[in-house]
Amino acid sequence: MDAIEVIDLTKRFGDNIAVNGIRFRVREGETFGFLGPNGAGKTTTIRMLTGMTGITSGRALIHGHDIVRDTLAAKRLMGVVSETSNVYDELSAWDNLIFTGRLYHLGKAEIQRNARDLLDTFGLYERRHEPAEGFSKGMKRRLTLAMGLVNSPEVLFLDEPTSGLDVQSRRLIRDVVQDLARENVTIFLTTHDIEEANVTCDRVAIINQGTIAAIDAPEKLKQTFESLQSVEVSFDSARPGLLEALRMLPQVNDVRKEGDKFRLYTADPPEVLGSLCVFAKEQNLRPISVTTRGPSLEEVFIRLTGLSVGMKKKVGGTDAGLV
Amino acid sequence: MPGWFEEISCDLGAAWAIARKDMKIYYIKPSILVSSLLFPFVMFLAFAIGRNAPAGTLIPGLLAITLLFSASSIEPVSIPIERRTKTFDRLIAAPVSIRAIVLGASLSGAVFASAIGVATTAIGLIAFRTGIIHIVALLAGIALTSLCFSTMGTLFAAYRTENVGEVMSLLNLVRLPLLFISGVFIPFASMPAWGQSIAFLSPLTYAHDLILFAFDGTTLFGPVADTLVLVLAIVLFQAVGALLYRRSRE
Ligand SMILES: Nc1ncnc2c1ncn2[C@@H]1O[C@H](COP(=O)(O)OP(=O)(O)OP(=O)(O)O)[C@@H](O)[C@H]1O
Ligand SMILES: [Mg+2]
Repeated sequence: MDAIEVIDLTKRFGDNIAVNGIRFRVREGETFGFLGPNGAGKTTTIRMLTGMTGITSGRALIHGHDIVRDTLAAKRLMGVVSETSNVYDELSAWDNLIFTGRLYHLGKAEIQRNARDLLDTFGLYERRHEPAEGFSKGMKRRLTLAMGLVNSPEVLFLDEPTSGLDVQSRRLIRDVVQDLARENVTIFLTTHDIEEANVTCDRVAIINQGTIAAIDAPEKLKQTFESLQSVEVSFDSARPGLLEALRMLPQVNDVRKEGDKFRLYTADPPEVLGSLCVFAKEQNLRPISVTTRGPSLEEVFIRLTGLSVGMKKKVGGTDAGLV
Repeated sequence: MPGWFEEISCDLGAAWAIARKDMKIYYIKPSILVSSLLFPFVMFLAFAIGRNAPAGTLIPGLLAITLLFSASSIEPVSIPIERRTKTFDRLIAAPVSIRAIVLGASLSGAVFASAIGVATTAIGLIAFRTGIIHIVALLAGIALTSLCFSTMGTLFAAYRTENVGEVMSLLNLVRLPLLFISGVFIPFASMPAWGQSIAFLSPLTYAHDLILFAFDGTTLFGPVADTLVLVLAIVLFQAVGALLYRRSRE
C-alpha cells in the first residue's frame, strides 16, 4: 500500500484554482519533494493532505485512510510541520511538546521520553524550561519540527522546513530528515530550494500554478534536459563583443555570462569544446578554465515552470528540445 | 475496548489537554485574575450606590453577571489570536475531533469562571453575612452557568477572523442585552409581556433563577427546570459550535 495516494486533488478559493487536479503516489519510506515557486499550491496541497483544509474535489489517502472520511485514523499516522513556526510562545519548549503529545493521545511516559529525546536531538534540552517567545527563529523552527515528531509519525509533512535558516540549523534539520528516511518514515516536503530537493528527495514533483509539470528522480529530471548541458569557460582577458561572438558558434543554443565565466548551453558539449578551441586560437584568447556540466535541477525547474531566466533562443539556431 | 468508548475517552482527554493549555496561557495570569475578581466588586458599587435595597440581596444577580462575563471573555480573544499565530492549526491537524476542540476551549472558561464565582460568593458571604439555603444548587448553578456562557463565547469565536475586535463586538451585541432581559437588572415580574417572552429564551434567566433559589429559596421555574434548561442550552451551544467550526474551515 502506498503511504500517500492523491487522486485528482483540486482546491478552489472562489474563482482561484489553487490546486488543479493533481495526482501522484508516494511509496512507504520514500522522501518526496514538492518543488515550486511562490503561490504554486504547495502549502494548499499539504493542508489538504493533512486535513487542515477542505478538499474541493478528488481524494487523498494516507496509508489507505481517506483524509476526509477517515480523518482521525489518517491524522494519527502523520506529523505536520507548518510553513510558519507555530509554537505557543507563552509555553516553554517542554510544555509545547507535552501538550502536542497529549493531542495525539500518547501516554505520559511515552510523551516525556519522546520530548526528552527530541529536545536533545534539536539542541534545545538545556533551554527546555524557557518560554518559546524568547527563542530565536532557528530555535523556534527546530521546536516546531520536534513537535511534529512527538507522536513518532509514519508520514511526515514538512512545509519548507529549512527556509530562512542558517547553514547549521539547515544541516541539522536535513540530517534529522535523512535519519527518519532511513527508519522508513515517509517524508513529504515542500521547498523552493532546488538543492535541498536534490540532496534529500528520492523523487521530486515540480508544481506550478496548481498543476504538476513533472515527477521523477532528481537525476532523471536532469537527464530529460539534455539540451541544458553546458560548457563553462573563462578567458584570461575580457573583451567587448565576446558574448555575441560565442553565441555565433555552431551547436551553441545560448550563452550566459556568470561572473568572469561564460556558460554555453548545448546538447553537444564535445562539439562545442572543439569549436571553442579553434575560436580561442583565432581570437588570440587563452582559456583559463573549461568545465562541462550537466543541467542543474534549477535549470530544469526554470524550464518546466516557464519562469523567464536566460535561455533565449539563438536567432536561426535550433530549438532546444522542450517538452 | 468498544470503539465508541475509546472515541469518547480520546475526545475527553484531548479536550482536557486543550483546557489546561488555555488556562496556563490565558487565565492564570495576575492581570486576568485581579481584573476578574475586581469585576463583581465594581459592579457591586455600580448597583449598590443610590439604591436602598439591602446590599446582600444583590449578590445572586452580581454572581450571575460575573459568571456571564468571566466565562465568555477569554475564548473570543484567544481563538482569533491563535488563528493569527497559526497555533489553532495545531488543533486542526491533530487527531482530535472538532467536538473535542469546542469542548476543550469551553472547559477552560468554565473552570476559570467557576473559580471566580466561588471566590465572589465567598467574599459576598463574609462581607454581608448572607446565608445559602441550597449549597448543591449553588455549586451546580455556578458550574452550569459558567460552562453555558463559556460555550457561548467559544461559539462566537467560530466566526472566521483573526481580528479580536470583530468577535468581541458581535458577542457584546448579544451579551449586553442579556443583562436586561434576564431578570437580573429588571425583576422578571415587572417586565412587560414581550420582555418576559424574550426572557424565556435567555439562559441567563434560568441561571439567575437557580442561583436565587440557592440563596433564598425564591424561584420562578424551580431548580430542576432551571438545571434542565441550562444543560439543554450547553448541549445546544456545543453542537452548534462544533457545526460552525467545521464550516469555518476554508
Ligand atoms: N486561504 C486562502 N484563501 C484564498 N486563497 C488562498 C488561500 N490560501 C492560498 N490561497 C491561494 O492559493 C494559491 C496557492 O497558495 P499556496 O499557499 O498553496 O502556495 P505555495 O506554493 O505554498 O507558495 P509559497 O512558496 O509562497 O509558500 C495562491 O494563489 C494563494 O493566493
Ligand atoms: Mg507555502
